[in-house]
Amino acid sequence: MEEDVKVLLIEDDVAAAEMYRLRLVADGYSVVIGHDGHEGLRMATDEAPDFIYLDLRLPGLDGFEVLERLRAGTATMHIPVIILTNYGEPELRERGLKLGALEFLVKSDTDPAELSESVERAVSPRALPSI
Amino acid sequence: MPDLATSWDDPSTTDGASRDLVLEALRLASRLVSSGTRVREARCLLLHNDVLTSVASSRETEASERGRYRVSEHANFDRAISTGQVVDDGSTVVVPARGDNGVLGVITIDGEGGLGDAQPATLATIAHIVGLGVSQSRAVNELQLEAERSRRLERLKSEFLNIAAHELRSPLGIIRGYTSMLSEGMLPNPDREVALSRITEKAEEMARLISEMLETARLETLGLELELEPVDLLEVVDNAVHAMRPLMGPRHQFALAAPGDDIAVVADKRRLTTMLTNLIDNAIKYSPAGGEIEIACDHDEREATVLVRDHGIGINAEQAHLLFTRFGRLVTPETSHIRGTGLGLYLARESARLHGGDITVSPTPGGGSTFVVTLPIA
Repeated sequence: MEEDVKVLLIEDDVAAAEMYRLRLVADGYSVVIGHDGHEGLRMATDEAPDFIYLDLRLPGLDGFEVLERLRAGTATMHIPVIILTNYGEPELRERGLKLGALEFLVKSDTDPAELSESVERAVSPRALPSI
Repeated sequence: MPDLATSWDDPSTTDGASRDLVLEALRLASRLVSSGTRVREARCLLLHNDVLTSVASSRETEASERGRYRVSEHANFDRAISTGQVVDDGSTVVVPARGDNGVLGVITIDGEGGLGDAQPATLATIAHIVGLGVSQSRAVNELQLEAERSRRLERLKSEFLNIAAHELRSPLGIIRGYTSMLSEGMLPNPDREVALSRITEKAEEMARLISEMLETARLETLGLELELEPVDLLEVVDNAVHAMRPLMGPRHQFALAAPGDDIAVVADKRRLTTMLTNLIDNAIKYSPAGGEIEIACDHDEREATVLVRDHGIGINAEQAHLLFTRFGRLVTPETSHIRGTGLGLYLARESARLHGGDITVSPTPGGGSTFVVTLPIA
């Protein structure tokens, strides 16, 4: 259990956010939710999460814009981000990975249990990128 | 004799080849009869449901009215068409134009002296060539229409693929996610109930999306057929409100207003319910901050109305007409994240119009949108 690992979900679909929260909390993570692009960005700075799940279709700023700004901010540039979306087009996947997302997951093909596994992999010391 | 001025009156025919053919035939026919006759005008008229409409003429003067004639009221036309023979009453010669499927029009030559030296058989041959040309050009038009129809269906198919890729995935993701968590047995009791009710909601959402897609496909290919029966409008409104209650956010309230008596309409109950749930669903989706959703029924002697009013994002008045077109969702920065197929309002209005009514939209004073359904009273 990673009692002290905080995950930020940037997700406007209330039902989806709630479901992922339940799963991650059950797996021992603490979870905060940003309901749109701007709120997500603000929480990425204020809450200092260890990990971010990012939706693409968001009110205000879309997921790609959020990702670009996360990468440009000194406080947020090293936070691992996984895109979690309903879109599965290869060009979007490529764009997301190019912008620095760790993985690109399609919601309907992703078991919520995989969310915790991805966080586990990303934040465990062995997986930390060497500097 | 010099050639007469020619004109082409039929704007619906775009086929240049058949136009040239018809005009050339008129010139030729005029020349054939002109040795013994002073030709005032030669015309080509096409037949449709007992009506002959002039499509081309060749004449001395520019002015000529564009004629439409009921065949049964004109003995010469009637005789020429029913017998297939050239008819000459001394001032007008009527030559039937036979196409691939019987007589499809006539060539007429007006002038003193009638046929003159011309052989009826020669005129009949010229008219037959015109008939074949017109048949061919109609076949080409038919093919073009068919091609347009298939392009439209092709477009529909790609729009549907897009819905399947995005809109269906969203509820499916929730259903699969919760199902997996439930089967793992990892959810505590209250969460299990939340999970079950989310699964039910999302399955219903998928069912709705699928029936919208099917209904649209049916509308585009076969047209909708209503199953009409006497219906109490208030009961349908109640059912629609009840069905949409689970989708309300915690900050939404419904305010219902209805007269004390029943409102009897003749309607397709299922489609009417769908129409109203669509409007209520919209009101909920497009007022993300919550607020009151007013649903008011009323009627006079002629028509019944259902008003659905929200106080949400509202619609740009200039774009309002796009709302009811297929996939006419108005996507703005405020609405781009809102789920939707762009089919709901399109189907709602098509269905209202099939019922003999309509749906209109106007801004709610102070923000939001007001939709009004009108239906004829039974």
